[in-house]
Amino acid sequence: MNSGIGLIVWIIAYPFVSFSLGVLLGGYGRKLTARIQRRVGPSWIQPFFDVVKLMSKKTNVSHGYMHDVAMMMLVGGTLLTMYFVPVPGFHYFSQFGDYIVIMYILLVPPLGMALGVGQTANPNGSIGIARALQMLAGYEVTFVLTFIGFAMKNGTTSMYELMMIQQSGGVATWGLVTNPLLGVAALFCLQGMMNEKPFEVVIAPHEIATGPMTEMGGKYLGMMFIQHLINLVVELTIYMNLFLGGATNWFEYVAKLFALFTLVMSVNAVYGRFRTDSALRFFWKLPLPMAALGVILIMINGI
Amino acid sequence: MYTQALLALPLVGFVVTIVLQGTARRSPAILKTWALLAFVAMAAVATLAFPEIGDTYTGPMVFGSSLSIGLTDLSWWFVMMIAGITVLTSFFTLGALRDTGTYPMYYGWLFLKVFGMLGLVMSRDLLTFFIMWEIMSWATYFVMQQGKEEGREAALGYLVYAIVAGMVLLGGVLFIHQSAGSFEFAVITAYMAKAEFGILLASVLLVLVPFLIEAAVYPAHGWLPSAYASSETSMTAYLSSISTRMGLFGLILFVFSVFGLKAIDRIGISAHLNLRTILLVLAALTAVLPTYTALFQHDAKRLLTWHSIGQGGYMLLGLATASTLGTAGGLMHIFNYMTYVALIIFSIAAVEYRTGTTNLNKLGGLIVKQPVAFLGMLFGIIGLAGIPPMNGFVSKWFIYRSLILGGYPFIALAAFIATVGTIMSVYKLIHNTFLGQLPERYNDVKEVGLLMQLPIWILMGVVFTTGVFPGLILQWIAKIQVGMGIVPIAWTLGGVAREAGDLNMMVVTAVFMATFAVGAIIFFIGGKRRIVSQYDNYAAGHFLNKDVPYNFNYNFYSAFDHIFEKLYHDAPVQTAIRNLGRFVRMVADYVRRFFTGQINTYAAYYVAAVIIALAILKEIP
Repeated sequence: MNSGIGLIVWIIAYPFVSFSLGVLLGGYGRKLTARIQRRVGPSWIQPFFDVVKLMSKKTNVSHGYMHDVAMMMLVGGTLLTMYFVPVPGFHYFSQFGDYIVIMYILLVPPLGMALGVGQTANPNGSIGIARALQMLAGYEVTFVLTFIGFAMKNGTTSMYELMMIQQSGGVATWGLVTNPLLGVAALFCLQGMMNEKPFEVVIAPHEIATGPMTEMGGKYLGMMFIQHLINLVVELTIYMNLFLGGATNWFEYVAKLFALFTLVMSVNAVYGRFRTDSALRFFWKLPLPMAALGVILIMINGI
Repeated sequence: MYTQALLALPLVGFVVTIVLQGTARRSPAILKTWALLAFVAMAAVATLAFPEIGDTYTGPMVFGSSLSIGLTDLSWWFVMMIAGITVLTSFFTLGALRDTGTYPMYYGWLFLKVFGMLGLVMSRDLLTFFIMWEIMSWATYFVMQQGKEEGREAALGYLVYAIVAGMVLLGGVLFIHQSAGSFEFAVITAYMAKAEFGILLASVLLVLVPFLIEAAVYPAHGWLPSAYASSETSMTAYLSSISTRMGLFGLILFVFSVFGLKAIDRIGISAHLNLRTILLVLAALTAVLPTYTALFQHDAKRLLTWHSIGQGGYMLLGLATASTLGTAGGLMHIFNYMTYVALIIFSIAAVEYRTGTTNLNKLGGLIVKQPVAFLGMLFGIIGLAGIPPMNGFVSKWFIYRSLILGGYPFIALAAFIATVGTIMSVYKLIHNTFLGQLPERYNDVKEVGLLMQLPIWILMGVVFTTGVFPGLILQWIAKIQVGMGIVPIAWTLGGVAREAGDLNMMVVTAVFMATFAVGAIIFFIGGKRRIVSQYDNYAAGHFLNKDVPYNFNYNFYSAFDHIFEKLYHDAPVQTAIRNLGRFVRMVADYVRRFFTGQINTYAAYYVAAVIIALAILKEIP
């Protein structure tokens, strides 16, 4: 499906597929949290209703052109990342950009959001952004180290090739199995990347209003929701492709997606919120040395 | 022919500017126009000199060997960068330099500096190289002085480093001449290939140390921030974008051509532990530490000068790997950094022109008043942070890939840590300048004139175009790599060929534009929006008006501050420099006591010296 009509169909349909998966994941996450807290919880496709409601609001308050453009950058950047992350049956774009490209285009949506939030001129929003950027030094740095080690071991920086190498020998060649230190360290980072507790200091409801979302309403909030849902799928897929051997078919893909998300949401449900400096110190004390050890082991084995 | 003319032009410019100096106060336009025309002519001559690549021209004989200049692929590339950025800077100063009377020799020293830099990159023997190096260093010192009062003292700091570098280089030049018997590059290359290890090591160290000082590589970076930041703002742009890179030029020339990579790699104990490893570690430190120092700066210019050091670390990282990908990235980063840092500082200069300050704690919300400057800075910071589709990303991609596949995981990690620091500090820069609340006192601020806007627009175009079509730059880099004795990069217009990796910026940009359009469609599907006042804002029920400062820009990264406060204030290099200063003052204090200022004391010294001399002479048979 990587040429001709099939490719065009994929390119057009993939955002919708991804969004639907995101809706299901988001709904599942809320339901799961509710059940852990002994509530009934909302409907499975509640995120979809939320998006429709927000997008059809009559009052849409803007603070200027950067605020508007930021929303397009936010959704555009996330869709861009989505195309470059290979999924079963669709890896056309991975020949034009390896994981180093993905690593950097992952920064486009936060940058867009940061610029937009900056123009809303709300200190709560700016604080949220400042926190988000500082958190990058915690989870993103660690995650990149796990990738560097894994790429060095396999001699390629292409995500598709890394995925294929892992699929060559079943579960035994999964990144999590061959390099458990890297895999587990990256799992901590995934929690941070997804802004879930204990690393949800960016949004921090009730503390800094809702951080970056403080001045967002109507379609602005709606677009942030859309971005968030697609982003859920993209980030889980990145981890899956790097450490769980990707997926060979869509059944496996969806199963792994939900399994991984269950883990993330379970941790989210039972933890409180770390302060920014505590979260950073945590990342530098546990996952980062762990990843470093993993990389050193790879270097020793290589020589 | 054009090669000599290229070198003669700035010298003529220097002389004419001295003659025209008197007009600076009454009619500044004369000097400005003259400088711009001369620099444009210089750029034209540089372009015309292209067919002369490979020719060498000899000049007067000095110390038994003739001074010679000539163009190579590497030097022509540097000449074009110097010419381009000089034209843009002098164009920008047409509008930006309000008060030429204050700096009558601004253009004069600029001419001399350009002369020094062009001579340096075109020199074809060691002696010419040294002479041009000295001219350039002194001109840089004078150029820095054309600024505010505090700039004078900071420039003195630079001078100390430059003199040390110059003296070490002089030692190196003489040592190499002594052992190789010639100033000619070809003779030195042949000699070094077979030289004794001790001689090789001494020559390499004596030559590389000055380059590392000039390139502001950690821990010899201390001179740069205050010297650059207190210069006139357009000059800050010029110095940051090209001046510091002369040290790197020397490094490239000597490591890859004059000494040769084989000779350099003899210095070390194994293939993974040699001089280049040390360079890599220094480069990683240079990339990380200054970048995080930039985070704590409150002045836009000062913040960017710290990045001048940090980004130099990236260039050295790429070059020190000595691989195809790495050198391509390092060389490309020199060009890329030049374009986007000039762009950012021009935008800052536009803000300073209207508001009179570059203090990040006092600015804010200027996006509505100066949208062009905002766009300029936006393009620039996206480049500086290395985010697609701007050109800064492409060179970083090369550097990362070479480090990962070359087996330097922790150096690659350091490069990424520096990237995170860069993103943080550039966001602080753009947030505190253009975003957030607009202070009432800037309500009357207007966009700068077209003269100042034009260089900003041009650089925006360059930063974007070379980001989407990196092949435009890579075709030169492939040629330079051949001259450096490295397998040239397999480039395509949009990135690299399949065998070198997966990168096609044209596709990445096209997809980004398409997805951005999807974002726009979703945005316009939603209802009509209404732009509200900045005081119409969530404040937990409190009322906002112009009397309530409602902004977050002071102590922007408080968690980092909290964690690193101690480390930042007791940074090892700063402490060492402070202690060194204290030591020198102590020694000088003792020495001072000999000079009492009384003739009797000096007479006593004289008598004592004569007695000692006689005593010694008597002992000698």
